[in-house]
Amino acid sequence: MNLTYFLFFICIIVCTLIITYWAAKRSKTTNRFYTAAGSLTGFQNGMAIAGDFISAASFLGIVGTIAINGYDGFLYSIGFLVSYLIVLFLIAEPVHRLGTYSLGDVICSRFPGDNMRWLMAIGAFTISILYMIPQLVASGFLLRLLLDIDYSISVVIIGGLMTIYVVFGGMVATSWVQIVKTVVLMSGTFMLSLIVFSNFNWNTADLIERVKEGTPLGGEFFLPGHLFENPVEFLSLQLALIFGTAGLPHILIRLFTVRNTLEVRRSLISSTWIIGLFYLMTLILGLGTVALLGYHTMIEADPTGNLAAPLLAKEVGGDFLLAFISAIAFTTIVAVVAGLVISATTAFSHDIYHHIIKKGKSTEKEQLRAARWTALGIGLISTLFALRLETINVTFLVSMTFIVAAASNFPVLLLTIYWRRFNQIGAISGMASGLAASLILVVLGPHIMNPDGGWIAREAVISLHNPGIIAIPIGFLGAYLGTVFSPKQSQTEAEFRRFFKKSQTGIESRGDSA
Amino acid sequence: MDDKFQKLMQEKKRFLIPALIFLLVFYFMLPLSLIFLPEAMNGTSFVAGITWGWLYAFLQLPMTWIMVWAYHIKSKRFDRLVEEIKQEELS
Repeated sequence: MNLTYFLFFICIIVCTLIITYWAAKRSKTTNRFYTAAGSLTGFQNGMAIAGDFISAASFLGIVGTIAINGYDGFLYSIGFLVSYLIVLFLIAEPVHRLGTYSLGDVICSRFPGDNMRWLMAIGAFTISILYMIPQLVASGFLLRLLLDIDYSISVVIIGGLMTIYVVFGGMVATSWVQIVKTVVLMSGTFMLSLIVFSNFNWNTADLIERVKEGTPLGGEFFLPGHLFENPVEFLSLQLALIFGTAGLPHILIRLFTVRNTLEVRRSLISSTWIIGLFYLMTLILGLGTVALLGYHTMIEADPTGNLAAPLLAKEVGGDFLLAFISAIAFTTIVAVVAGLVISATTAFSHDIYHHIIKKGKSTEKEQLRAARWTALGIGLISTLFALRLETINVTFLVSMTFIVAAASNFPVLLLTIYWRRFNQIGAISGMASGLAASLILVVLGPHIMNPDGGWIAREAVISLHNPGIIAIPIGFLGAYLGTVFSPKQSQTEAEFRRFFKKSQTGIESRGDSA
Repeated sequence: MDDKFQKLMQEKKRFLIPALIFLLVFYFMLPLSLIFLPEAMNGTSFVAGITWGWLYAFLQLPMTWIMVWAYHIKSKRFDRLVEEIKQEELS
């Protein structure tokens, strides 16, 4: 590792630790720890949401996917972006109005009870951990490739940093690390895109011509059909992408960090702009890689294409730019995993410890202590897991997270907020069937059952890599059947009206009028 | 006081239901048209050098931005109604 790299990394680590120190002095209450006391502005939160959402898999993975598959790679990013409209239209404002710290709060404001809380906490916890482990594993490989440091050391550094941010700085530190990440990521990719364009004298037609020379696909590169040959698979993926975000706990808890619903909307406006512009730039970077380096150089360096962006940086800007882009990738990883740690922590310490074990009676001080210990525990355990999983391919967990979120959390949230007849049994059966369906379908699918190199070396029972098209309807069906076949209405009409009014206006009516 | 709330919900529905239908149709028409009309989508569009497939994919970005913005504008009216309901509730 040479000096430039070292300085960039030290700079990022020091900056984020200063943020954490500053945040730690401000995280003295649970409200601050879990939601930064609603102190962020819409724009800040929008940047933090983008920082939470754009993982290293998006940054490096999508550039690589576009460079390899052309058009189809770009379609991936479209789904990620459009999913925010579902969040904004259906989920965002009610979630902000109904919940305090966690998604468990949101559901329990309609169906209070320990069972419901257990289920929501387990759901949020599972999704966050499932998403975090592959990120940590990928980060280990990434740092090894970029900086030539050992896999275990990279995982320990990233795992340690994310734990420190959350344990000491809570949501305040997490948010600001994510904001810094977004600023660095956007300016870095913007700069790199400009450099790519300048290499072609700002002439897009030239760029496109060179892309056709660089890829073995030739002119076909710009036509669809290289990534998704199977139409069902393709639709299924799009379905999981567009409904997945609305069920991701680490994104939704960010909606508690602003003051009111106006700021919630501003958050989502800013994040859609940032995410949209970001994906446009990944397109330029993907095309630029093929045009300037050629397909074969890229594949030789790393067959998955994950190194496309760093290689491009090295080609156009030498070692200095490569160091800069690597530092960005590093920031991207720590910001995302920190967001996942805080989401898992909230599910455990707020929902399970405070509400279920202590029956909602623990003091402020106890809650804060529990939250910090939980964060430490989660950080340690997931780091240990990531260390053990070096030799096992866990990348499928990322796409699985979206399916689990879209099939379990999303139906339950949606129906709780809008469906009059929905009841607790329906919520429980919906959550359970969505979760079970996605897990079973993935186990029976080609990620696990594969004659060459799968965990179960047999032909897959279900040939879909993305079983969303089956799992999401099962989640909804489970919720519907559970409601219809449960013996009695658990809630009166008046109770629902009161709840519905609160979810739509934030007004807590007194029992008499409703 | 429930009249106002009914009115708010009606107005919300009048915006959200068409918007959601439009959004889902617009979004899912892209994969569907790529699957069922590959030739048409690979044909050159009215923008020189860009196929319909690319044009449609790009259009998803402004679509998202415009819808978010439209909702934001609409919500100002919703917020006013909520404020009025709150006032009545207090009095």
